[in-house]
Amino acid sequence: MNHRSSIEINTEWDIVAARQLGRNEAKSTGFGTVDQARITTAISELARNIYLYAGKGKIEIEPVRVGTRAGLIITASDEGPGIADLQKVMEDGFTTSGGLGAGMPGVKRLMDDFRVETEVGVGTTITATKWLH
Amino acid sequence: MPQEAGEQYKQMLKNFLHSQGEKDLYLGQQFSRSFIDKNIAPEDVISIHKNSIEELIKDLPSDVSVSFDFLIEMMIHYGLALQEHQSLIRKQEAIQMEMDIAVRMQNTLLQTATPEAKGLDIGWISKPAKQMNGDYVYFLNETSNEVCMAVADIIGKGMSAAMHMSMVKFGMDSLRYEKRDPSEVLSFINKMIEQSISDSMFISMFYGKYHADTATFRYSSAGHEPALFYSAAEKKFSLLESKGLLLGVKEEAVYEERGVQLEEDDFIVIMTDGVSETRTEEGFIEMDVIEDLLLDVKTENAQAMVDYLFNELSKMQDYKLRDDFTLVILKKTK
Amino acid sequence: MNLQVEQVDKDLVHNFKIIGEIDIYTAPKLKERLAQIEQAEGMDVELDLSEVNYMDSTGLGVFVGFYKEITAHNGKLVIKGLNQRLYRLFEITGLSDIMQIEQVEGGEHDASI
Repeated sequence: MNHRSSIEINTEWDIVAARQLGRNEAKSTGFGTVDQARITTAISELARNIYLYAGKGKIEIEPVRVGTRAGLIITASDEGPGIADLQKVMEDGFTTSGGLGAGMPGVKRLMDDFRVETEVGVGTTITATKWLH
Repeated sequence: MPQEAGEQYKQMLKNFLHSQGEKDLYLGQQFSRSFIDKNIAPEDVISIHKNSIEELIKDLPSDVSVSFDFLIEMMIHYGLALQEHQSLIRKQEAIQMEMDIAVRMQNTLLQTATPEAKGLDIGWISKPAKQMNGDYVYFLNETSNEVCMAVADIIGKGMSAAMHMSMVKFGMDSLRYEKRDPSEVLSFINKMIEQSISDSMFISMFYGKYHADTATFRYSSAGHEPALFYSAAEKKFSLLESKGLLLGVKEEAVYEERGVQLEEDDFIVIMTDGVSETRTEEGFIEMDVIEDLLLDVKTENAQAMVDYLFNELSKMQDYKLRDDFTLVILKKTK
Repeated sequence: MNLQVEQVDKDLVHNFKIIGEIDIYTAPKLKERLAQIEQAEGMDVELDLSEVNYMDSTGLGVFVGFYKEITAHNGKLVIKGLNQRLYRLFEITGLSDIMQIEQVEGGEHDASI
């Protein structure tokens, strides 16, 4: 089966480590330069949100194969404050004013599939997948 | 990313490298539109460029080649910003469409026919500063002998004002056949909206009822600008003031009711603060400016007087209304 | 556009001075600031508007909302330092009958509402 790699996010430098891991995995899965950069940016944003809003958490990266389709699943999880108004966080324009960088809609655009599970006071898990076209 | 766009780009770049002329730059500029049409992101354009230049220049220094990877990384956020921008534009278009529907709905709601009353000439105008009107004019011909009119100003402008306005309209409609006096109407509307208005909202309203038999005008005010009364015999203006609190502030507010007798050529001017608080470059206009304008046209019919006043006052503010503008003139004829 | 709210003293009567223009843009800021005042039973609040040179109906709305809040706690609201034009606005709207309002001494300056 597939191997799943994981990086704990505790400091800002861990974001760089997560990026590096993501880029390597993307490359070995067969993604081109631009998609490597997209996947890395998505990981970067997810890791940064963990660092800024939850303090700590982890990023997991797992190559997948479904039939003839290959891809990469990124999972970002934390036990932080959770997201109270998910709809608002997913809205365009919210991030521009809120200073979340590319924010959630950005990550969603960079990847193909995107799913959020969150509970206030419990934490947030975001799963995003990019498929090789 | 579409392969053919990459091939075309490479060809165009090749031509330009040879000519380094304006014509090829122009063709490139035209071609860039097709990138946008095909939703090709900025980072993809850099990637296309990287691939093209690597194929066109065999001995391209690897540092230069790798530098494009850096540029790709830089452009990812530009690409996201662009997509966000496009999505916000679509959202704005949707909002604009809803707004247009709301404006049409409000216009339907606002429709009020100018009533006919024996010996009374009525003219009026109500113009919003923005799309939605926060002012409101309501006429009611209770019997052939009686005409009621309300002029209301809802705090703020735009959508929220318009929504509160519909509340007022339904309140008035529900009193349609009840022949209430002005002070009773205001008490009723006040009680009704006090229940459902938010804390820092309020509505001012002037309500009047004209009795053709006696040529008397009875009126009450809920915190509204006093109306102007012109006596033709005395050649003098006076204010029709009546005590009463804004609607929606306090449930048990009471409204004073007063009356005035109209003689031939007398007229009453009911307005909102968009008229009385007309602001020009030099500051607010004084009431005597409005009085002078009215005197200019006091022999005209009521609608001509209203139109004249509106034109003159909007000219003074460079035809840009700063506030919703509503004016009603009632003129006693023979 | 600028608006400032300064707490002048904090004895039995809460005293605030509002400085600037109150319009559709600054009114939310004023509303927020007034909402921060902790409401105690029977509390008296005095607002000094002697350095407010412009106010529109949105501004009036903020005071109406604040008045409702205070009376819900059986308190009293005094608005003082009103210039002539603002004073007239409180009178026309009937608010002068439910709030205590005071005109500024020799309030003749040509400020605007």
